[in-house]
Amino acid sequence: MSNEQTSLAFRENTVRALEDAALRAAMKHAADTFGAKRADAFAPVSDLETLRDRASAIRDDVLANLPAYVDRFVASATRAGAVVHRADDAATAREIVRKILADRGARLIVKGKSMVSEEAGLNSHLEAAGMEVVETDLGEYIIQMEGETPSHIIVPAIHKNRRQVGRLFADRLGVPYSDDPQVLTKIARKALREKFLSADAGVSGANFAVADTGSLVLVTNEGNGRMVTTVPKLHVAILSIEKILPSLADLPAFLRLLPRSATGQTITSYVSVITGPRKAGDATGAKEMHIVLLDNGRTEILAGESRDILKCIRCGACMNVCPVYRMVGGHAYGWTYPGPMGLVLTTLLTGMAKSHPLVDASTLCGACVEVCPVRVPLTDLILGLRQRKVRERFSDPRERRGMEAFGKVAGSPALFTLGQRLAAAFWPLVRALGGKDVAGRMPAPAKTPLRRRLP
Amino acid sequence: MSGAEMGRLFLENAAIAAACTRSVSGTEDLLAALGQIVAVDSPVYCPAVTELEKAAATLFPVRAADYAAAAVTVEEVFGAVAETGTIVCVSAGGRAVQAGLLPAHHVAIVRRERVFGTLDDLFAAVAGAPPTNLTLITGPSRTADIELTLAIGVHGPERLDVILV
Repeated sequence: MSNEQTSLAFRENTVRALEDAALRAAMKHAADTFGAKRADAFAPVSDLETLRDRASAIRDDVLANLPAYVDRFVASATRAGAVVHRADDAATAREIVRKILADRGARLIVKGKSMVSEEAGLNSHLEAAGMEVVETDLGEYIIQMEGETPSHIIVPAIHKNRRQVGRLFADRLGVPYSDDPQVLTKIARKALREKFLSADAGVSGANFAVADTGSLVLVTNEGNGRMVTTVPKLHVAILSIEKILPSLADLPAFLRLLPRSATGQTITSYVSVITGPRKAGDATGAKEMHIVLLDNGRTEILAGESRDILKCIRCGACMNVCPVYRMVGGHAYGWTYPGPMGLVLTTLLTGMAKSHPLVDASTLCGACVEVCPVRVPLTDLILGLRQRKVRERFSDPRERRGMEAFGKVAGSPALFTLGQRLAAAFWPLVRALGGKDVAGRMPAPAKTPLRRRLP
Repeated sequence: MSGAEMGRLFLENAAIAAACTRSVSGTEDLLAALGQIVAVDSPVYCPAVTELEKAAATLFPVRAADYAAAAVTVEEVFGAVAETGTIVCVSAGGRAVQAGLLPAHHVAIVRRERVFGTLDDLFAAVAGAPPTNLTLITGPSRTADIELTLAIGVHGPERLDVILV
């Protein structure tokens, strides 16, 4: 699975995406379905705005005191018997995981869905070390088989249709072709059950980490998250530091918001709250549990003007409503996280130099802000990044010079008036030379400028 | 909300999440219900720890020693949440939460007095000393990863029965 970033080629990526009829059809279907399901799920929630305020306030509090909450989580998880590792960057995190697994002779690794592990490039690192890594979430299983990366943070194979999945399974698993999702699901169940039962270790992510108790919370539907965390004798969880919630009492607000925002469910089939490894007298859980906490630039984001992106709980609602994402899909963004939250996080985590075209991948329509369950001010964050892009001189030099020139003209009433006169005088010429393509798209200059018509 | 209302709401919401639901009045009714739900000759895993489980175990001559080899798990669970139609399994008392995961059919027995009104009530009850594993289960295992089309029974049970006693 490639972790190479192609965000600089965003424009070329979008052109390719727009020419892909199957992708366009899949994205349209997904957008319509998601929109309807989300609306239905929230319809009976009468105090939604209060609920969002509460969740937003909890996330604000976590960010305001993040180092202290991280320390508290580490102490609680350690007390519960887990071994907690801190990793400053992606390379350190994937090497910590590799070493834990290699030291215990693990060869077959079953993996639950984790975007942080994608961010850290974990799979290719483990595979290079000779381990077999099996993605067990159905969507992840499909794209791993295809050698692709997720195109959506909740539904990784959203860009594929049932016929493509049917052909893939027939080719790679030697099963009869079917395009019935129920049949395809059963095929995956059978193939993966053997892997669960023979795996040496399970690797998972986590949706939340609870500071007071040291618990990890996994919100899932298929049951593979439960498998990877309880069936193998070794469990390694990898998560980023901002996933913390202060206490279990804070969890219900997020359990009410996350599934409704993500998949339009009142609650997912499974919510696992895991507190340390198997203890004396337990018949359940991994015998050994490691938690790798990844920073990867988040402490720096926390100190800057874009810190509110760290409130995000990864529901994916912002991408489902984004007019850009809905047209081009997730791969065009060129890195782990797509859509509005993704373009902000990608720019911050990988740097403006590697991702600056992404900050223009928004119409600023605000649909993302309207659906965000924890009130991340996405359009403000995107505007802030656009300003940074100009400040750091990543914008097109022609655009920059044009804007600087316009700024000077607009700042001087004499020059501005001259500009208006010139525009009016040259308009017939522009219309004659430019034809419909230019003149047809531009309004004719007013005979009397607006500011002279105002009292 | 009264206990009876909470029980009714729990079953109603569990049914919305595609669980099969029943309400019975005592041990005798429970055994009759189990007899209808579970084929007596299928390999059943039943921990036979609680009184209700001990009674249930008498129904099944073919008992699987290990849940991994069972076709069905019949167990009494920690509790339930009315708000979401959720059953709650915990690892306390040596109970394996995987028992309700590996077999394709999970039958969960819930005592009426163990139904919590809301998720807040549940987490308030366990926050002091959470067990190693606390699993909230709402309906059968599912996915919508292919074209957002619902498919039931991915890695967990494809059928969940909930019996409120």
